[in-house]
Amino acid sequence: MPTISTGNSAERMANIKPPRAVLVKFARGSMFGEPGNVKRQRRIILDALAALQTMTEPGTIQELPYRWKQPDPE
Amino acid sequence: MPIDLDAFKPAYKKWVEESLPDYQAGNMKEIVKKYPFIAPDDIPWTAYNGQPSSQTFALVTSGGLYLKDSQPPFDTESIHGDTSFREIPKTVHPQDIGIAHAHYDHSLAEQDINIVFPIERLVELENEGIIGKLADTHYSFSYVNDAVSLVTETVPKFIARIKAAGVDVLFLVPV
Repeated sequence: MPTISTGNSAERMANIKPPRAVLVKFARGSMFGEPGNVKRQRRIILDALAALQTMTEPGTIQELPYRWKQPDPE
Repeated sequence: MPIDLDAFKPAYKKWVEESLPDYQAGNMKEIVKKYPFIAPDDIPWTAYNGQPSSQTFALVTSGGLYLKDSQPPFDTESIHGDTSFREIPKTVHPQDIGIAHAHYDHSLAEQDINIVFPIERLVELENEGIIGKLADTHYSFSYVNDAVSLVTETVPKFIARIKAAGVDVLFLVPV
């Protein structure tokens, strides 16, 4: 069964080796960003769905550009 | 290469014996350093050739979520962790979700569960047709050190559940 993962530690993900994943730069316990930031939560899910469809190399990890309490890049 | 549980078992037993004092004292960095992590040689891979708008998705978290009114919380005391999982319906109200996990700060998740378990966002995406179907049931695991019980007892049950539910893709969200 195909999977798409999120992660917040490049080091941990390098050891775990998920098939395909997106990496966020947020602390543990905040994978999808700040409480109440609905747009960001949705955006991260959409990025994960895009990764699911486009990643063809096992072990690909895409770092997402979002930063805590900063506006999403255009 | 499959997980070598025969190699892991004695290493884990030794780790438990040696780490129990640190665990009980809350010295988590020390016990993590010594844990006999199973590092896979290869990367498990199933190609994806579908369209999300025509498939069924299920969400899996390791955040220790449970239904406060109908499910027991995960064991947060044992050094072995808790290898069980909880089933969370897609219709869940966030206020009905509890978190039983002693090894991450879930104070922000308690304000908005979607930051660790974005179930409301996924429901919205299903309603918009971006996801074909959100499975009726989603899954929470919690803190686990006993990889043997997890792999030999829990994972087969979990796989049977998601197959019976017709899940096409798993969205894995660790904490």
